[in-house]
Amino acid sequence: MKVLLIGLIMLGVIEPASAMNHGGMLMDEKGMIMNANSDNLPRDCTKISENVDITIRAGQKHALKFPGKMFAFDQQQWDVKPCAKINITFINDDQIRHQLMIHGLPGYLYPEGMFHLELYGEGQLQASLIMPSQKKTYLVHCEVPQHMEKGMKAQIKVDGGDGDLPSIPGISAPVKADIYPVDWSQLTTAVLLLSVLVGCAVLFFVIINARSIKDIFQKMLAKLNIKQSSK
Amino acid sequence: MIHRHSILLIFIISVLATIAFFVAPGLQQKAGIAAPATVYNRSEVTSGIEKPCSNEHPDWRPAQVIEGVTVDAAPSCDPDNPYDIATSVKGTNNVSMATLMQTNLAQDALTMTDDLDHDGDPDVIHIKLEVVELNGASPDGEFLINTFDIAPGIQPGLWVYAPKSRGMALKNFNSVVANPLLRAPSPVIRVEQGDKVYITLENTHYLPHTIHLHGVDHPWLTAKGEDNDGMEEHAVFPGKSHTYEIQPRHAGTMLYHCHVQTAQHFMMGLSGLFIVEENQPDNWVQTFNIGAGQVRHPSVAVKKSYSQEYDLHYQSVDKNLAQIIQNANDPRLIAQQMARDYNMTESFENYFMLNGRSFPYTLRDGMIIAEENENIKLHIANLQRSSIALHLHGHKATVTALDGVDQPAGLQVTRDVFDIAPAQRTDVLLQTKNNGLNSYGPGLWMFHDHVPTGTTTDGMEPGGNIAILAYKSYLDEQGMPKMHDELFDQVFSKDYYAKKVAVWGFGDFAPLLGDAGLIAPNYLQIIIFGLVAGLIIGLLVFSVLVYKRKQQQ
Repeated sequence: MKVLLIGLIMLGVIEPASAMNHGGMLMDEKGMIMNANSDNLPRDCTKISENVDITIRAGQKHALKFPGKMFAFDQQQWDVKPCAKINITFINDDQIRHQLMIHGLPGYLYPEGMFHLELYGEGQLQASLIMPSQKKTYLVHCEVPQHMEKGMKAQIKVDGGDGDLPSIPGISAPVKADIYPVDWSQLTTAVLLLSVLVGCAVLFFVIINARSIKDIFQKMLAKLNIKQSSK
Repeated sequence: MIHRHSILLIFIISVLATIAFFVAPGLQQKAGIAAPATVYNRSEVTSGIEKPCSNEHPDWRPAQVIEGVTVDAAPSCDPDNPYDIATSVKGTNNVSMATLMQTNLAQDALTMTDDLDHDGDPDVIHIKLEVVELNGASPDGEFLINTFDIAPGIQPGLWVYAPKSRGMALKNFNSVVANPLLRAPSPVIRVEQGDKVYITLENTHYLPHTIHLHGVDHPWLTAKGEDNDGMEEHAVFPGKSHTYEIQPRHAGTMLYHCHVQTAQHFMMGLSGLFIVEENQPDNWVQTFNIGAGQVRHPSVAVKKSYSQEYDLHYQSVDKNLAQIIQNANDPRLIAQQMARDYNMTESFENYFMLNGRSFPYTLRDGMIIAEENENIKLHIANLQRSSIALHLHGHKATVTALDGVDQPAGLQVTRDVFDIAPAQRTDVLLQTKNNGLNSYGPGLWMFHDHVPTGTTTDGMEPGGNIAILAYKSYLDEQGMPKMHDELFDQVFSKDYYAKKVAVWGFGDFAPLLGDAGLIAPNYLQIIIFGLVAGLIIGLLVFSVLVYKRKQQQ
C-alpha cells in the first residue's frame, strides 16, 4: 500500500495536470481522487456504451430514512450498462470526512481494484470511471471507521449485477442482524391463549366427531376411486 | 399376598438404591495413591504463539533528520513513524507531499502558521481530531473491524481521538487491522505556551462527543460566544464539527477528554494527555505523540534539562462496557445499553494498559530505554478508573510537577511508588545514576502499577500495565529485552491470556507444575451403576403396571 501510494504521488507530483486522466492520485487540502479513469477502456470493452452522470451525496441526514443507521449515501444502488462511463459528482453534506470507494474493479486500470474519492469536509468532487463489461455488483462505501457499518454502503450493478451485497440500507439484510425486543402486549398474550384454546377445541372436535369424519373421508376416497376407475 | 409382594419390592429397590448410591460415578473424584499424570498442553497450542517483535520498520529506529526536523533514535521494537513526527513538528501544511504520503494524516490535520512573537516558531496552530472506533462490530459477519490488539488475542472495543487521517483506515486490503495512526491511547497533544491553538473536533463517530480541556488554560466561551469547555449540553453530534480555542498562559502536563456521558466515554478511551510546553525561541514542539511513549522531538525547554522524554498514559477497560459496541450495530441500541442498561457503579476494570497496550505488547513500544547517567522526564497520567501506585524497580525518581504545576524544590519528593488518583498527572525526573539511591545499576527493571489488579489482564498475570525500564546493553538489535526467550514463548500467545496454558508448563519443572491430568473413568463402576439404575426404573414401572391391572380387576 505504502509503495503504491508513493508511486502514485510521484505520478501526481510529476504530472499533476494529467494525473487524473492517467489514474493515480490527486490530493489537496480539501480531499483526494485516486484512480480516476475517464478514457482508458477495460480490455473487454471496445467502446463506451453509455455516459452516466450520477450525483452521490454523503451525510448523516441521508440516514434518517433508515432506522438504526447513522451515516448514508442519498441512494443505495445504481444500474449501468456494461462498459458504461460513470461521471460521479460526489457531494459531502457533513462537516466531517467522507469517502466514496468502489471496490472489485480490474487491477490493471485501477490499482488494488479501487476507485477512491475523499472529501475532508463539506464540498464536492468530480471524477469518472469506466466499468468493465462483466455482469457484476460492485461495492460502494465509505471506509472511515464505522461509516459503512452504520449505513454508508451502496452498490453499482453492471448489466443487472450478480446479486445484492449484504447489509445495504433498504435493500438487503445484514449477515449479523441486531436483536430487538418484540412489542408483547396483553392483546398479544390474549391472541396466543385464544389460539391455544382453539387448538384444543379442534382436537376435541375431531375426537367427538371421529366417526362422521371417518365417514366423510371414506366417501371422498370412494369418489376418488370411482373417478380413477372410470378413467 | 399383595402386601407381601409390596414389602419385598420395596426391600429390593432399597437394596438396589443403596448399591447405586455407593457406585455412583462422579464428574470429579478423589485420586488414589497415584494422582493423575501431568498433561503437556503446549504442543497443542503453539499455533497461538506470535513473534515477539515483527520488526516491521527497522529503518524507523535510528536518529534521523526529516524535513529539517531532528528525530531522536528509538531503539524499541515498534518505534514511532519518524514521518509522523516530522509532520507533527512542522505541520501538514509545511511538509512536502512525499513526507505527508509516508503518514496517514489528512492534509488539513495540522496547520501551523504565523510566528506572532517573532521567535522562530509558528504560533497559530489548527489541530483537527476525529473520533475512531477500534475493535468495532460489523453487520457483515461475526468479526471485528479496525482491530487493535492490546495484548495477544485481546481486542476490547475502544474509542480514541485520532489526528484527522486520510485514505484507508485499514492497514491493507487483506486485513481488518486498523492502520498505525488509529490506535490507543488517544494521541498526546503538545502545544507551546502562548500559542493560539484551535482544536477542531470533527465527529466521525456515531454518538455525540466533546473535547474538554482538563487543566489547560482556556476561556469558558470561544470568541464567537460558543461553548469552549466541552460540556455535555454542547455535544458535537455525528457528522458535525466544533472548534475549541485556547491561548494557554500556563505550561504543564494537562489532559483532554470527552465530557458526554463522561464516565462511560472516558472509560472507552476518549482521553489523552495535553501538554503545554514552555515558550522558548525556535521551539517547534511535536504536536502529536501517536501512541504516547518516547517523545522523539522534545521541546527546547525539556532538552535543556533532560536527555529523554516519555509520555506514560495509564488506562483501564471494563470488558463488559467495551463489549457493548461489539454486540450491536444500531446506534440506538448501543446508546441504550451504554447509557442506561450498563451501570458504572457495578463495574470492574479488567484490562490495564500503558500507552494503549498490556504486557507483553508493552515491550514493543512501551518501554523506557535508558543508558547510565541520564536525566529522563516522565509525564505520567492516570486515565484509569481507579488510582494507581506506580512502582519502578531498582530506582527512586523525583516528582517535579503535579497536575501541571511545578513543585517547589523543597516539595520535590524522591520515592519508588507514585500514587496517582484518576485524572491526576505527575511529572517525574528519572535519574539513571548508579548511586544506590536513584538507580541500582543497569538492568531490565520492571515498572508497573502496584495495585494488584494492575499487573493482570483479566486476572491473568503477567499482564496489565507491566513494562520495562531497559538499559540499552540489555536489548537486542530489535529492541527486545535479552534473556527473556522462555517468557516470550509463554506470554506472546493468545492461549496464555485465554487461560488455556499452565503458567509453569514448560522447562525443568513442567512435570511438577504443569497441568494435572484427568482421572480415567472407571467403566466397571459406570456399568454396574447403569445396570442397577436401570433395574430400579424397570422394577418401578413394572410394579405400577401390575398395580393398575390389579385395580381394574
